[in-house]
Amino acid sequence: MAKGYSVFVGLAIVVALCVAAWIFSPKGENQTTWRSSLILAFVSCYLMWFITFMAQLHPLIEPRRSNVRIGFEHE
Amino acid sequence: MAPSKQSMFRSADMSMVQLYISNEIGRECVNALGELGLVQFRDLNGDISAFQRTFTQEIRRLDNVERQLRKSWIAWIIVASRVVLSNTLLGYFHTQMEKASIPLRRLDLDVETLAPPTTTEIDELSERTQSLEQRIFQLNDSYETLKKREVELTEWRWVLREAGGFFDRAHGNVEEIRASTEDDDAPLLQDVEQHNQAGDVERSFSGMNIGFVAGVINRDRVAAFERILWRTLRGNLYMNQSEIPEPLVDPSNNESINKNVFVIFAHGKEILAKIRKISESMGADIYSVDENADLRRDQVHEVNARLNDVRNVLHNTQQTLEAELTQIAQSLAAWMILITKEKATYQTLNLFSFDRQRRTLIAEGWCPTNDLPLIRTTLQDVTNRAGLSVPSIINEIKTNKTPPTYLKTNKFTEAFQTIINAYGTATYQEVNPALPAIVTFPFLFAVMFGDFGHAVIMFSASLAMIYWEKPLKKVTFELFAMIYYGRYIALVMAIFSLFTGLIYNDVFSKTFTFFDSAWEWDVPEGWQQGQPLVGKLKGDYRYPFGIDWFWHGTENDLLFSNSYKMKMSIILGWAHMTYSLCLSYFNARHFKKPIDIWGNFVPGMIFFQAIFGYLVICIIYKWSVDWLAIGEQPPGLLNMLIYMFLQPGTLDIPLYPGQQPVQVILLLLAFLQVPVLLLLKPLYLRWEHNRARAQGYRGIGEQSRVSALDDDEGDGHFHSNGNGRLSVDTDDGEGVAMIAHGDDEEGHEEFEFSEVMIHQVIHTIEFCLNCVSHTASYLRLWALSLAHQQLSVVLWDMTLGPTLSKPGPLGVVMIVVAFYLWFFLSCAILICMEGCSAMLHSLRLQWVEAQSKYAEFAGHMFTPFSFITLLEEDDGLAEFRG
Repeated sequence: MAKGYSVFVGLAIVVALCVAAWIFSPKGENQTTWRSSLILAFVSCYLMWFITFMAQLHPLIEPRRSNVRIGFEHE
Repeated sequence: MAPSKQSMFRSADMSMVQLYISNEIGRECVNALGELGLVQFRDLNGDISAFQRTFTQEIRRLDNVERQLRKSWIAWIIVASRVVLSNTLLGYFHTQMEKASIPLRRLDLDVETLAPPTTTEIDELSERTQSLEQRIFQLNDSYETLKKREVELTEWRWVLREAGGFFDRAHGNVEEIRASTEDDDAPLLQDVEQHNQAGDVERSFSGMNIGFVAGVINRDRVAAFERILWRTLRGNLYMNQSEIPEPLVDPSNNESINKNVFVIFAHGKEILAKIRKISESMGADIYSVDENADLRRDQVHEVNARLNDVRNVLHNTQQTLEAELTQIAQSLAAWMILITKEKATYQTLNLFSFDRQRRTLIAEGWCPTNDLPLIRTTLQDVTNRAGLSVPSIINEIKTNKTPPTYLKTNKFTEAFQTIINAYGTATYQEVNPALPAIVTFPFLFAVMFGDFGHAVIMFSASLAMIYWEKPLKKVTFELFAMIYYGRYIALVMAIFSLFTGLIYNDVFSKTFTFFDSAWEWDVPEGWQQGQPLVGKLKGDYRYPFGIDWFWHGTENDLLFSNSYKMKMSIILGWAHMTYSLCLSYFNARHFKKPIDIWGNFVPGMIFFQAIFGYLVICIIYKWSVDWLAIGEQPPGLLNMLIYMFLQPGTLDIPLYPGQQPVQVILLLLAFLQVPVLLLLKPLYLRWEHNRARAQGYRGIGEQSRVSALDDDEGDGHFHSNGNGRLSVDTDDGEGVAMIAHGDDEEGHEEFEFSEVMIHQVIHTIEFCLNCVSHTASYLRLWALSLAHQQLSVVLWDMTLGPTLSKPGPLGVVMIVVAFYLWFFLSCAILICMEGCSAMLHSLRLQWVEAQSKYAEFAGHMFTPFSFITLLEEDDGLAEFRG
């Protein structure tokens, strides 16, 4: 379900969210505040998710553990 | 891009306005503007001392009223405390206790608004306070007199009672007294005495020529008193004394003192007079006592009756005083606030220039351009209400003064704006750093505070503070008030922490298993418990959201998360700084300084991207390559960056083909920007200056002026505005002579190439070094989030974790105890302490790393004349506010 191309799916979702935030921000003197805050929040969150996803995409090390109990090794 | 309407992006457009107000309604106008709170008045009487200004008389009178109100407030406190004290002494503490606390009605400024008072109301108020003050002090005086009388009567009663005892006893042994008063033998009187003794049953002292003095003296002085008497009278006296068992109250200072009753017998008028004198000089009070028992009884009755009378009157006086003060206490708060407002109004009026001939007040001040119509209608309303035919004129004028920075806030943005203002005041109309800070500050906090469990607690706390916003506002405990003030920051922080907690997959150091892991154990044949296992990927599938829970509890978990968090810090830092740098472009464009774009923004951006932008691209590229599949050695990016500087053109391990030339070009590009940064702006400014000079222009600072009119006399029909437009003064047709102010206050400086150059050199060095040091500074994101995560693991392992495996009733007890320990330590250390430190680090990133890229912070704050802020900030009013 989640493969390498997922980052682009995520990007598309976030761009859509940003556009929606731009359009649907309540009018008035706080419109700038709404737009800036929402878009910045979406971008920040996407960036963090993107970094986390990319860091695990092609891992260079494997998890290693010696205290796995019998019966749990196939989880 | 710059929005035309007012928004948080920049500080509001400000206008310098001139107000022409008819003298009769000056007070009302200023009052209305004070309620509005949108105008910052300039002092037009800077050269006139405070005593010579127009409205000094009024201010003095109001000061007087305020003083009287404060006095009655103090009287109220004294009476209240006195009631408590006297009640305690009199012993009917409980029944009277309620009376002692006269309630002061405090004024809740959020709920109640006071209508602006008229002049007559103020006059009435001042008269009323005057009469009140007199009345209170009369009552207080008579109270004290009565109290004194009461004490005297009480003392007299004691003297009568105690002295009566002496007399009753003394009648039994007159002989003894006589013998003691006369030294050795007194043969001359012997016969008389014996005669009397034989005959009279009712013997009297006067018959023996023995008089006495009775009175009351402070117990501390008794010894000295006795000694002095003994010495001066050479022992010719008989003294008797007894202690008054209950303490008496000194009415002058409300202190209780112990006293003794004394009776001194002596003979001879001179000696008695001497004794009286000595007693008085020792501070004793002498009371007349009759030696006849019947008369004495009458005296006692009389004294008792008088004492009762005095007590009744005293009680009534006290009641009246309390009633009076209760009444005052009801409206004292409102009066104090009215007087404070009124005083502020007159102080503001004193800033205005007063034209005596036309009876007009002229004011100058800053106000937000968008609010000009509102101010105009407010003034219009006041004029209409007063029924004046002369309108109040508000006139926008052009000036070369820097307008104040006015950043309008609401309940939500207020706290964010405050943390920015704590660093400095943004320059007029530059990009307001608080706008991006609404997201970046809490987000960077959350990167360091990423734990879902802790975030839930923080989220609930901030939600509670917002839900009970109104009642909690009244809490005055300072530490809480501070957290309460930042409740919306805490809310945004908590929301982002929920997100980062999910990304880090940490909840109280445990994990969520929302999705299938991408890993499984590679179990070899014949594996036994205790032998190490290594994970292997299931296939193409990757954990879709956050860190794979499979890593939790593994031996090389830290190795993975350190590498991940370190790289994340660099990328987030790069993004934050690039974003901030872009804001400097908007600043340059808004201030119409293209040289700032070409001389600072563009070379700075190229320099930064050529080094750190490249690093970020390399990090992401390295992640996107499946190194194991292509069977190549992944390069260390840190080494790559170091070699890029130290040995350009050589490579340790290649990341991608054609890497060497790319790196050399980038490095050259970066270093090429240094001279551009250094020289372009100063040289351009010099060229521009020289060109202007060559064409015969002068700097505007050489002839700066502020006010609309620079001709004090002459026909001032026209205000020549700075942009060449002419605006006609329609108010009175004659034009108003205006005093030109502050011409020398901030003239434009001469262009000095060396100064510009030095400034630019500093900027260049700072910028280039900061690119490196600030990027490194973002590594605190990694350090703090690592610390937070490790601390919560340790806390779990030290408290709750091990007890979960304990069986039996002991296990239950241990789990309960350990749970509370763990929970409170979680709240105290991991949420409060760690949260505080993460917040400070995030604050630093906001203040230093981000704001140094674009904000100048050279503004001065807009401080309008506003009753709301005035009343909030007045410490003297603290006890009257609800």
